[in-house]
Amino acid sequence: MARALLVHGATFLVLLMLNFALPRMLPGDPIQAMQDRGSASFVTSDKARAELRAYYGLDDSVVDQFGHYAANLLQGDLGISIRYQAPVLDVIGERLPWTLLLLGTGFLLAAVVGVVAGIHSGWRRGRRSDRTLLALLIGVRNFPPFFVGSLLLLVFSVQLGWFPLAGASTPFGVFGPLQRIADVLWHLVLPSITVALSVVGTQYLLMRNSMVGELGDPYVLLGRAKGVPERRLKYRYAARNALLPVLTLTSFQVGAAINLVVFVETVFAYPGLGRLIFDAAASRDYPVLSGAALVLTLMVLVVSVLLDFVYPRLDPRTREAR
Amino acid sequence: MSSPAHGRAARALRLRGYGLAWAGGGMLIVLALVAIFAPLLAPHDPRAFDADPLLAPSWAHPMGTNSGGQDLFSQLVYGARDVLVVAPLAALFSVALGAGIGTLSALAGGRTDAFITRVVDVGLALPKLPLLILLAVAAGPSTISLVVSVGLLAWPVTARYVRAQALSLRRREHVLAARSFGGGPVYLARRHLLPALSSILVSGFVSIAALAVLLEAGLAFLGLGDPQRSSWGLTMNDALQYEDLFFGDSWLWWLLPPGAATTLAILGFTLLGVGLEPRLNPRVREHLT
Repeated sequence: MARALLVHGATFLVLLMLNFALPRMLPGDPIQAMQDRGSASFVTSDKARAELRAYYGLDDSVVDQFGHYAANLLQGDLGISIRYQAPVLDVIGERLPWTLLLLGTGFLLAAVVGVVAGIHSGWRRGRRSDRTLLALLIGVRNFPPFFVGSLLLLVFSVQLGWFPLAGASTPFGVFGPLQRIADVLWHLVLPSITVALSVVGTQYLLMRNSMVGELGDPYVLLGRAKGVPERRLKYRYAARNALLPVLTLTSFQVGAAINLVVFVETVFAYPGLGRLIFDAAASRDYPVLSGAALVLTLMVLVVSVLLDFVYPRLDPRTREAR
Repeated sequence: MSSPAHGRAARALRLRGYGLAWAGGGMLIVLALVAIFAPLLAPHDPRAFDADPLLAPSWAHPMGTNSGGQDLFSQLVYGARDVLVVAPLAALFSVALGAGIGTLSALAGGRTDAFITRVVDVGLALPKLPLLILLAVAAGPSTISLVVSVGLLAWPVTARYVRAQALSLRRREHVLAARSFGGGPVYLARRHLLPALSSILVSGFVSIAALAVLLEAGLAFLGLGDPQRSSWGLTMNDALQYEDLFFGDSWLWWLLPPGAATTLAILGFTLLGVGLEPRLNPRVREHLT
């Protein structure tokens, strides 16, 4: 447990440093980028530009900048977004719920389908239905998420018109609370299916392998011998045990899902953190870029700490092993 | 365990495994041929704006043109080059790095080992795409920077497997015997370690190559690739930037083919890996049946 916390702490520190250093290595400086974009934030006066550089501490030494960054961070201050002219924490706070909603729904869908298919496949391993599922889900896993997303958008939103083209809710819509929920869910369908399609293959393979492993255990044979009904043996005995290792590996999956979030949110113009990272990279908005990456990593670490904590409670065998 | 039925099943599985490996390898060979003979296959310069925009497929333009009048078939053909340079190089770099660090960790033991293990844990937890985006923007969209950044992000998985394998191998008797006869570290690594690690290295190579294809295309798709080079991701990015894409048929030959080609390349590497695994790692054979 202590070791795990140490690793999580070290990961966070490394990330802090990377988050600080990498955006500052980007070519051009933000003030330059503001000029390039020629937007509402365009600053013409040389004096005003110098004041901006001083304000953002761009002329200080790197060590000073990092110290400043870490100190502010501890107070929940991630700086001011250059593009949005608002505190980074607010910008991120606005986007985070959408990402959580998208990832949560996608994962839930994938877990249900993947686990059920994995139980079935493992139980009937080597048979026709197992092989079909195996081929299908390994195949699905290989489609790039941005391609899947584009296709879904194309077919279901553009051609058929069943779902909206972009965003997470209808802008300027005046609805009652129930209609608002329906509107959000309606916008969520395609993005979350894209997430689910990209994750489901891995969930399925993990569950199938774990299930096959369980079926080799003597307790299954004993259950058979004493006449436990097949259904009960399959779900109550084998599947329950097989589910545990799959759960541990979920934290790795959440880490990989961050890749997904950037692609999926960009395709569907979904207002989450992934889209924010993409926009921030394009407009060289350093504070937002490092803040968003930090929050995403923090999310992964939190999930992994939670699982470390929950797992021994779910599986007494690992408690003894420690 | 050695019943005829089991033998038959194992043989069938081996054949099926090879079938998958051949299928995957075949896809990659076709892509490689396309990449090598791109100048002969492509009827036009893929980046030249030399035709009418948004043409439907014809003999002159087998897959039509995009909104800038660039030939889409030529872009598809030249796109194979980028993928087949980046993916194997990134995978090779990453696997070599992971194998080196993993072996070092196992052989050094003690504090060095503990330290490297922590570094690997941290490396595994880092979010890849945000960092890759940062690296891509910081280092510029060149092939070399892409190879290096994917390699630097993907090595910890290989290192972890290699370390575990090397640790267990160190205590095996044939290795002990070789050491007692005075075999040096280089001899041991080459004669005993490398052959025992081959399955880990090959499957690591294949899965990182598949990841590299996805990330290369993905970065270009996000508009963070080199705009001067033809890549499938860039073609898709162009397509989605074009606002009226969906209100005609042009998506059929503009968006679909590069997406399918990317999928094919990823699938090629995956099938190669799945197909080779039972042969390289006998334990997997039992697991699959």
